[in-house]
Amino acid sequence: MPSTLLDHLHPILAVLIAISGIMAVLSFNVMFCIYAERKVSAWIQRRMGPMEVGYHGTLQTFADMLKLLSKQLITPKGVDKPIYHLAPIVVFAPVVAAASLIPFWGGVLISNIDIGLVLVFMFGGFAVMGIFMAGWGSNNKYALLGAMRSVAQNISYEIPLILSALSVVLMVGAMGRGLVIDGQAVKITGTNLAHIVLVQQHADIWFIVYQPVAALIFFIATLAETNRTPFDIPEAESELVAGFHTEYSGMRFAIFFFAEFSNMFIGAMVATVLFFGGWDGPILPGPIWFFLKTYILIFVMMWVRWTYPRLRFDQLMTLCWSVFIPISILNLLVTAFVIKAS
Amino acid sequence: MSEYTQLLLFVGLGVVFGAIALVAPLFLSPRYKGRETEDTYECGVDTIGSAWIRFGVSFYLFALVFVAFEVDILYLFPVALVFDEPAFGWRAFVEIAIFLVILSLAIVYAWRKGVIRWKK
Repeated sequence: MPSTLLDHLHPILAVLIAISGIMAVLSFNVMFCIYAERKVSAWIQRRMGPMEVGYHGTLQTFADMLKLLSKQLITPKGVDKPIYHLAPIVVFAPVVAAASLIPFWGGVLISNIDIGLVLVFMFGGFAVMGIFMAGWGSNNKYALLGAMRSVAQNISYEIPLILSALSVVLMVGAMGRGLVIDGQAVKITGTNLAHIVLVQQHADIWFIVYQPVAALIFFIATLAETNRTPFDIPEAESELVAGFHTEYSGMRFAIFFFAEFSNMFIGAMVATVLFFGGWDGPILPGPIWFFLKTYILIFVMMWVRWTYPRLRFDQLMTLCWSVFIPISILNLLVTAFVIKAS
Repeated sequence: MSEYTQLLLFVGLGVVFGAIALVAPLFLSPRYKGRETEDTYECGVDTIGSAWIRFGVSFYLFALVFVAFEVDILYLFPVALVFDEPAFGWRAFVEIAIFLVILSLAIVYAWRKGVIRWKK
């Protein structure tokens, strides 16, 4: 059974270690993902990508960060001041908390909460609110259009996302009954992220084998939730300039960017936990497997982005409500039936 | 300290980190202000009116359907947790099926009303 930092350390020390760890991992991830995104897109389009700063452009992201840090923050005249200034923080703060919930290792975790899965979805919901605050508060037509689209799209795709996660919760409950680990009977809770991995580890099978439909829908819904192509119409740069963050410059923009890449990271990590066995894997230590799987998923997200064109907005919503939601409801019903029948 | 207190602390620290990142550039960045620096961006032309105007009602309809849907789906989580209790047997499946069928009726209704087909 994984223990938590709180079990081993003084609470203040535990929080400090955890927060520095989370911030380090998230910052590294954003730096790495920006560089990877540029290199992957360049590779797919037969370009070189960043080459000038550092060896093969590895220091490009640092240069960009320094530039963003020294940019002037421009607050346009017409904005709704409190909402406009709060929006980046509302988008940023939940990301840190959501990252702390992820079980990346079977040893010591930052937190091991029984309703972890629900909490991750909850923190994801805050991002929607922050995006809407940004779009509305900016008093800019592009920003408002982007925010409206983003909210409609995010809330719609949240339903298949949660429904496909629910079929995994059902399976965990059924397969975890009477689970014995190291001679100890363990009470498994389906919404505890660490328990989901434990059940997969113990049954020696990843849930993608039992739940391929749910895995596919979850992955596509994650793309939509993180506003990535083919679902990136909230910030479709060819029609909406930059969408909801049009009026945000310098570090304010950087915070939105940070949160966006971190959300992508968290989405990939949750998918790893739910469908790809989390830290489970032979020979190599758990965290290496975990982050390997996560980054493979992130690579697929980038691959999709640079391969498919963007959907039109009504197509996007129709796709969600008339294809993904009915399929995921059916999938849930079939899962429930099979569990009772077996 | 419970894990929930810890989680709340993380949210608080997230706010602090965000605030630091937002305040830091004030000491590092230039302060230039021209005639049009603070205009709302509209691709170079002068800003025309406010953005706070009436907006397509379709978005609102989706939000309505969502509110009805999402809350109900959250109720499925506690059901899913105890779904496999042997005491419930097939009754659990029948109940979850009835619940989902009623939920699906909501989609069918919205579909018939033309919400999903994005009718103007």
